[in-house]
Amino acid sequence: MLVNDCMTRHPILVSPTLPAAEAQRIMVEHHIRHLPVVGEGKRLLGLVTRQSLAIKPDTLASLNVWEISRFLATMTVERIMVKADQVITITPERTAERAARIMTEHKIGCLIVVEDTRNPIVVGILTETDLLAAFQAMLGLPTAGVRVTLRVPNRKGEFAKIASVVAAQGWGIIGVASYPSRRMPDRYDVVLKITEVGPEEVQHVLQQIPDQELIDIRTVV
Amino acid sequence: MQAPIADPIQVNRASISGPGPVLKVDNLAVAYKVRGGEIEAVHEASFEIYRGESHGIVGESGCGKSTVAWAIVNFLGPNGYVKRGSITFLGQELVGKSEEELRQLRGDQIAMVFQDPMQALNPSLRIGDQMAEVLTVHRGISREEAEARCLHMLERVYMPDPANVLRRYPHQLSGGQQQRVVIAMALLNNPALLIMDEPTTALDVTVEAAVLDLIAELQRDFDTAIMFITHNLGVVARVCDKVGVMYAGEMVERGTVEEIFSRPRHPYTQGLLRCVPRLGMNKAESILYPIRGRVPPPNARPFGCVFAPRCDYARERCLQEKPRLRPVSAGVGESVSEVRCHFAEEIDPDQWRPPLDLELPIAATPPAVSSNTGEPLLRIEGLRKYYRVQGNALRDVLGLGAKRYVKAVEDVSLSVPKGITLGIVGESGCGKTTLVKTIIGLEEPSAGKMHFLGFDITNGINKRDVRLIQEMQMVFQNPDATMNPTYTVGQQIARPMLRFKTVPKHRVREEVIRLLKAMRLDASYYDRLPRQLSGGEKQRVGIARALASRPDLILCDEPVSALDVSVQAAILNLLLEVQRQFGTTLIFIAHDLSVVRFFSDYVAVMYLGQMMEIGPAEAIYAPPYHPYTEALLSAVPIPDPKAQQKRIRLEGTVPSALNPPGGCRFHTRCPRRHLLPDGGRVCETETPPWRDAGHGHRIFCHLPLEVLRTLDPVLTTPSHEA
Repeated sequence: MLVNDCMTRHPILVSPTLPAAEAQRIMVEHHIRHLPVVGEGKRLLGLVTRQSLAIKPDTLASLNVWEISRFLATMTVERIMVKADQVITITPERTAERAARIMTEHKIGCLIVVEDTRNPIVVGILTETDLLAAFQAMLGLPTAGVRVTLRVPNRKGEFAKIASVVAAQGWGIIGVASYPSRRMPDRYDVVLKITEVGPEEVQHVLQQIPDQELIDIRTVV
Repeated sequence: MQAPIADPIQVNRASISGPGPVLKVDNLAVAYKVRGGEIEAVHEASFEIYRGESHGIVGESGCGKSTVAWAIVNFLGPNGYVKRGSITFLGQELVGKSEEELRQLRGDQIAMVFQDPMQALNPSLRIGDQMAEVLTVHRGISREEAEARCLHMLERVYMPDPANVLRRYPHQLSGGQQQRVVIAMALLNNPALLIMDEPTTALDVTVEAAVLDLIAELQRDFDTAIMFITHNLGVVARVCDKVGVMYAGEMVERGTVEEIFSRPRHPYTQGLLRCVPRLGMNKAESILYPIRGRVPPPNARPFGCVFAPRCDYARERCLQEKPRLRPVSAGVGESVSEVRCHFAEEIDPDQWRPPLDLELPIAATPPAVSSNTGEPLLRIEGLRKYYRVQGNALRDVLGLGAKRYVKAVEDVSLSVPKGITLGIVGESGCGKTTLVKTIIGLEEPSAGKMHFLGFDITNGINKRDVRLIQEMQMVFQNPDATMNPTYTVGQQIARPMLRFKTVPKHRVREEVIRLLKAMRLDASYYDRLPRQLSGGEKQRVGIARALASRPDLILCDEPVSALDVSVQAAILNLLLEVQRQFGTTLIFIAHDLSVVRFFSDYVAVMYLGQMMEIGPAEAIYAPPYHPYTEALLSAVPIPDPKAQQKRIRLEGTVPSALNPPGGCRFHTRCPRRHLLPDGGRVCETETPPWRDAGHGHRIFCHLPLEVLRTLDPVLTTPSHEA
């Protein structure tokens, strides 16, 4: 899966002259946490996050009641946003896992997807929510089916065994994932989601595979 | 096998596909200031469009569909303004913002595609320059880079020979290609919302099908929200996810496309669906039910429900109280439709019976077979019509160059028995209109013989006897262009009566009024001028005028294609009634195959001046058919989202009639050529034979009938299988 396949296209964009209060309203109303700021031709200028909207209490404490209202009225998006050179971007051709890596490394909640990093025209946004949606899709949600986990030895040819058994039964797999088992370096866990079949049948057939252990089976995820 | 347990987690589209709708129109009212007040063109429209969704807006003309679109892009003109309500685009309010704020807000995020692509293209600039401008001006992309992107985009919209197209001017492209350029241009900036206002109405059915496929594909790839305005219910069924039905400036019903078509709630939606002929319907078995009355003008809308005066279910409450757009439970699934009707739950469309005062034709009896044995009313043999083309080179001007001809009609032979309807279909430029014009005598044939009532009519109209002229009349597509704007309706209808002396002078007025009544227009229309009539009424006058001389044969050149569906149904019914009453023979040209199927006894399919197939209507619409007919049928938009249609798309455009392909004229685009041995080499060199499939059904193709019979039917509807 590439960024192109999981990003949100046509995100809500704002211009730098928008009052900060208005940006705050849009974020609250639409339940979003990131607002890319763009200029002419959707060129990235910055990013407004929930943190950008948090004004230091000291700043306000030094102002009297009348100054506060003026201070807030002149507060535009441009003054609070994270500037473009500090916004981390990605192009649509990168992979989803790479995007996730960048986000965990920088401890950030979103990546702005641009056409080209030298010429940052915004084509979309990739947030934690998008990646969580992609994660669900990879494991076959929301389609109904049997979700089964097999613990297999870490060697070549183990997945082929599963695949051939499933193929022999004529089942369809709609979601698949594999990851190293916790604290067992010589084992891998394989998760499959199989449709249009009952759990008993799946259990019966997959238990027959030599060297592999069926550790979990369920229909309700 | 045990059934799997249903997954309790339901998809919540909104939570997965990102925040909020792209466009939200809420309770919108748009008014135009005119002398002495203002006109509220849109009274109450509400809908929202999410990412990657296409939302259809349907309704008759004058219902305010386009006004809504114009309000969104602030294109209302100096006298129009948004009176109430809000338009939210990507979270920000558009109403009440200044021009500059709007430009910044919308930027290049909303694109629009209109019905006529030439309106959007600059005729004096090359396609490449126009397209590159979008990128170089808005985005500051370098010229080379911009051109590369334009080329790529033209490839995405399946433009044949895109590099070459960039160097051409708009007029050097066909209508379908122009519309592709406009769509490509609209997508260059990757807009969040694409507004399409009747984008395929001006295109041929085959081109339309290709453009609709393209729209569906682009919507998927670019995740663009599409607002699709159209009057064609078939098109909506093909491309839209959701539909809003508008009537007299109000959204009267809204729901998913399946809901609207399978269970229309509002009487207006039900009425609309009853007026369109479905492919496969014919006049002997089914009746079209027009909606009585007409759309009220914006300044004379009824107080209660706007549809009440035309509604069969209207009660006291409908006149007193304005219904609100309220949700009705769909029963199955989670799809919720909204309807603006007090009694939506009580109305069952299956229980509907036409009201007694609705004028309906008595189901037409199929033409008696015995009448076919006699002398046909009209017989044409080997008719050709060539137009000499003057080249621009000096030798052509001096008359030394080779003579070149546009072969508009090539070798057409047919005979029309008395009292039947012959439908002629084909793409534009296939010679339908030329054929009809030659028959009536407006064009002189280049070769061939024509006999009408046993008289030779091969010569031009000035050599025909007045009484022969009287027996053949014509109804035109555009009633505006064929009526003298300074003469009253009465004078125009009386004119043929006086000219042909069919009625004594002192009784002309009486006769005109009788005809008007037959057209369901009352005597007050006698003194009206054409500009005081609506489109449907003008067409009625056109038919009355054609009938005034009591002709034996009426040639109808696309009589209903410019009209709304409900009016179209009324005009078709009227023509049927005329035919039944006067025994008139009709030649009926239309590009809408469902209408032709409904209306005609015999159908002729033309391609590039050549007759491809002719036969009884029901035979044309089922195998065996000519590969061209098959392609036409697969392109017809069916007003039923469940219908399964075979997908055959013709490649390329109709070749020039100046230099038509040799052999079979269709061979350059024929999708079935490979069925012949040697890849259909024979199609390029030899003129195909006429193959007789019985009952007067003839097919002009090299493929033997046995092969043509094995082709699957184009259309299968679930109801057919049941």
